[in-house]
Amino acid sequence: MRKISKKNNNAQMKIQEMAFVLVAIMIFFGIVAIFYLKVSLSNLKGNVELQRGQEANELVRKISSAPEFYLNKECDGCIDMDKVLLLKERKNYQGFWNLDYLAVEVIYPNSNKTEECTRSNFPNCGIVTIINKTGNTGIPASAFVALCRQEFKQQGYVKCDLGKIYASGKSLESTGG
Amino acid sequence: MIENKKGIEFSFGWIFAIIVGAAIISLSIYGATSLIRENRNTEDTFAGKELGIILSPVETSLESGRTSLISFPVETRVYNNCKTFGNFGSQGISIATKSGVGDLWQKSGVESTFYNKYIFSSNTIEDKNAVVFVKPLEMPYKVADLIFLWGANDKYCFVNSPQDIQKEISDLEIKGINFTDSAQKCEKNSQKVCFCNNCGCDIEVNINAESVKRKGQPTVYYADDRQNVLLYGAIFADPGIYECQVKRLMKRTSELALLYNSKSSSLSPKGCNSNLESELIRYANQTAALSSSLNLTDVESSSRELEDRNKLLLCKLF
Repeated sequence: MRKISKKNNNAQMKIQEMAFVLVAIMIFFGIVAIFYLKVSLSNLKGNVELQRGQEANELVRKISSAPEFYLNKECDGCIDMDKVLLLKERKNYQGFWNLDYLAVEVIYPNSNKTEECTRSNFPNCGIVTIINKTGNTGIPASAFVALCRQEFKQQGYVKCDLGKIYASGKSLESTGG
Repeated sequence: MIENKKGIEFSFGWIFAIIVGAAIISLSIYGATSLIRENRNTEDTFAGKELGIILSPVETSLESGRTSLISFPVETRVYNNCKTFGNFGSQGISIATKSGVGDLWQKSGVESTFYNKYIFSSNTIEDKNAVVFVKPLEMPYKVADLIFLWGANDKYCFVNSPQDIQKEISDLEIKGINFTDSAQKCEKNSQKVCFCNNCGCDIEVNINAESVKRKGQPTVYYADDRQNVLLYGAIFADPGIYECQVKRLMKRTSELALLYNSKSSSLSPKGCNSNLESELIRYANQTAALSSSLNLTDVESSSRELEDRNKLLLCKLF
């Protein structure tokens, strides 16, 4: 009787040891999995931000040929400021380019004007903000463009200034990411 | 009692270890396969977005057309999902890649949505390389760049096509399109596109009716068309995709008409009076209400009227 009880005690000890080892292995794998998920999630977030930045970069290079900005066939890279000024009033375009920030700034001749352009102060102003969703734009992608507008002196003519267009991709915060 | 010496003795410890070990191993295998599946899904999602992004540099500036070849790292399925919902509708792109691990093809990654892209293709393209051909649509002002996309292994055989189409495609050296004067001379496995009626081809273009008919599918109408832009769309896209993209394009045409209307009003005080406001509003309503490509003829005639009026202006609107 005593022999059997001793044998049982030994077996129970072995099972307990094994159970502890198994629990330890599971905990180890669990920690490794959590670590892996944390690293891959932060990589994923980084990659998404990078891709959105890349999207903004590509867009800013080509936006002057988008019909909403495009001046005419005679001028590549020329932006029609008469249209751009009106574009910011059209709410339908707020989500059109998947951007958080889109603005056009007058570089030259500028005499340090920083005032936001409206129909009443245009062209005596510095910047037209078409989209500004977050307020925090980071470092937006930019490209030089010619900012052209229709003028009239006896007959119509097009006058162009030097400008820069800025675009910033959607941040994860603004998309609930 | 006879002792069975051939029997194997398993202690409880061994049985316990085998059962729990098997459970752990199967759990690990399940975890690893799900992880691989998720990784593929993530990669496919990124690839879908990437494809949309790399289509931007191909868009036109001053050119009347552009072509390019996109190479995927492995054989890829591109799903074109067009929706007309919202102010501009949307272009969905999703991708599934072929893999030697797990399922050969798994469900596509999460769809990437673009509002400013118009891809004319079949519902699914399956290839390692894709041909891109881009042309701007002008009705009468520039509306958008239309992207025609097909697999590099897809072959098209244009039979009796007009000279301007032959010249454009030859000048741009677009891959996968051949020209012949009879359907019998077409390569095997190529899609025969005939510019004649009832020629027994896969795709038949009726230039007089400005329509395109695919075998066993509804007829679509292109009616733009000085530069054959919508004609190419009707040839390369499935009818469902084509109708959807046409509606999306008309929605954008409508928004642009309203933008030009505002521009016209804002230029009037400068002495640049165009008197085009009422026509532009009518055009905006007409394009926004377009329900099928069949009605494109009316839009086209309004577009021509606007173009003629604009040409006479001192300060051109577009």
